[in-house]
Amino acid sequence: MASKDVVEYASPARRIANVAVVVFLAVYLLWTILPIFVMFVSSLKDLLEAFRIPAVGDWSGIALFFDFEPTFKHYTNLFVNLNFGVYFFNSVAAALGSAVVSVTLGATCAYALSRTEFRGKKDLFFWIISTRMAPVVAVMVPLYAIFRSLELVGSLWGLILAYTTFNLPFAIWILKGFFDNVPFAIEEAQMVDGATRMQAFRSILPLVAPGIGAFLVLCVLFAWNDFLFASIIGSGGAKTLPVATKELVQPQNIQWGSIMAAGVVTTLPMMFLGLLIRRYLVTGLTMGAVRE
Amino acid sequence: MASVSIDKVWKYYGQTPAVKELHLEVADGEFVAVLGPSGCGKSSTLRMLAGLEHISAGEIRFGAKRINDLPPRDRDIAMVFENYALYPHKTVFDNMANPLKLRGVERSVIEDRVRKAAAILEIGHLLERRPGELSGGQKQRTAIGRAIVREPALFLFDEPIAHLDAKLRAHMRGELKLMQRRLGTTMIYVTHDQLEALSMADRIAVMNDGVLQQLGTPRQIYDHPVNAWVAGFVGEPPINFLDCRIVEEKGELRLVHSSFDLVLRPEQAAIVRERYAQREVRMGIRPDQIAISTVETPDSFGGQILVTEPIGGDMLVDVSLGGDKVLVKTRPDFEGRMDSPCYLTLDRGRWHLFGKDDGVALF
Repeated sequence: MASKDVVEYASPARRIANVAVVVFLAVYLLWTILPIFVMFVSSLKDLLEAFRIPAVGDWSGIALFFDFEPTFKHYTNLFVNLNFGVYFFNSVAAALGSAVVSVTLGATCAYALSRTEFRGKKDLFFWIISTRMAPVVAVMVPLYAIFRSLELVGSLWGLILAYTTFNLPFAIWILKGFFDNVPFAIEEAQMVDGATRMQAFRSILPLVAPGIGAFLVLCVLFAWNDFLFASIIGSGGAKTLPVATKELVQPQNIQWGSIMAAGVVTTLPMMFLGLLIRRYLVTGLTMGAVRE
Repeated sequence: MASVSIDKVWKYYGQTPAVKELHLEVADGEFVAVLGPSGCGKSSTLRMLAGLEHISAGEIRFGAKRINDLPPRDRDIAMVFENYALYPHKTVFDNMANPLKLRGVERSVIEDRVRKAAAILEIGHLLERRPGELSGGQKQRTAIGRAIVREPALFLFDEPIAHLDAKLRAHMRGELKLMQRRLGTTMIYVTHDQLEALSMADRIAVMNDGVLQQLGTPRQIYDHPVNAWVAGFVGEPPINFLDCRIVEEKGELRLVHSSFDLVLRPEQAAIVRERYAQREVRMGIRPDQIAISTVETPDSFGGQILVTEPIGGDMLVDVSLGGDKVLVKTRPDFEGRMDSPCYLTLDRGRWHLFGKDDGVALF
């Protein structure tokens, strides 16, 4: 892909803009990194140390933040006393489970929508997307009623199904764009070569891999960060990390240390996931939209 | 090896017919080109043969076997697509091996056959590359390689060299023809380029607007077009059409144009008397069947040179002839100048006469 020069000409406004950009980025960086930094550091501190804060305007007191004995007692507490191992597993299972189910069903559906013509196709496609237009809260009550009568409340399967309900339209929507960009001739060549329709479909999956990768991440993120579904549909038997963390806030005792540690446990896997598939995510999200 | 019968086949897209009652027999081992402009139904025909489109009505048979309801993989065909349709994530070797792999052929046999096909196509050194690293010609060879490794009963080529540059296209015409002769496999070759069809095929099926216009050898198509449309489509530079009148005089039929006047030969006159009641006709004559000179001769008639275009080995001359424009192909040493008079002589036996309204050829 040929890149084009963005030509800039020196002018007073340009110079001011250049400075403004740097200032903005610095503030933005502080704004986003600081909470995560505080969370990470606090999770390694004893409660007393964590609340030692220098007086306003006392810039030399900043050293106070770093003056502590690292302790892992909050993490031990989480996993030994508070069952966070199980919740962590629940989160992983719900996120990956719904991602896999959504990708499998979504890819086949998107392929069908991309390749075949039938009456009402546009309406069907719009209806699929429109299910994402209502806020989650709006459908929560009826969904809860349905899930309860099917005895899915409080089970991991129920949670996976609930996430899939919301992820599937998204999967179809994203992946259809990717399939649209794969020339028909490639599958036709496969079928002439001796493949069945299903084999031909599988053979073009590598060509939509960026889309599948991008979608998997969005899907996992949605499920991993979700609180509403997890607290209502998953309550009891399928407690996930956000719900378990919320329960550390008790009327008589807010367990700040454990909450910070739980925050780190919840954040780190997604950060690594992001780094791992960063390349896919970028190509994935642009490739569906722009035809080169 | 297989012969192909296309028997009264129709193809509809919704209410629009793309192929209308096509009838075509292709003999075993024959090279048939299907020639026509875009949208004439030639690609639809090929795709019906491949099994990529439903056959709306009629029947297609390979040998004696009806294949209407067979999926592509059971038809024993190989197809080369216009845009090559290579798998971008696979190497040249894997692209070519694909049809064999799908049929569960043994690994050692695959290796052997792919290397042999690659050797024929002179792409042996490219086997580890991916399509993205290949030139257009190399991609096209890979696509052909994928078609020939399996030794199918029928080759279907859909404008395989349309996207190559002119020089490579000329080279590939010869190569494809040679390859088909050597393998002896029946070939149906779709193209919009009349030069490809004329130079390669045993027979040409000319299609227009979903209808088969003429089926015949390249010579028949070029020398005896059945109608004005075929005459106009085949041949480069294109044939000249001149509106004329038939006039009867002293028992002779004369062809009258504003700038010339020909007596029809008895056999020509007989055909016109028998088959054509109207007087208005269109005369068709190819640019290389007109002689041009700067000196007047007994049979010649005068015109005015509009422009001369030397094209290396030949010279094209646009001549204004009583309101019509005529293109003449002559030797490059022709000395006529723009805007000066010139004299044309027709190659008497080789021009054509078409009905004015229906365009059907009289001779």
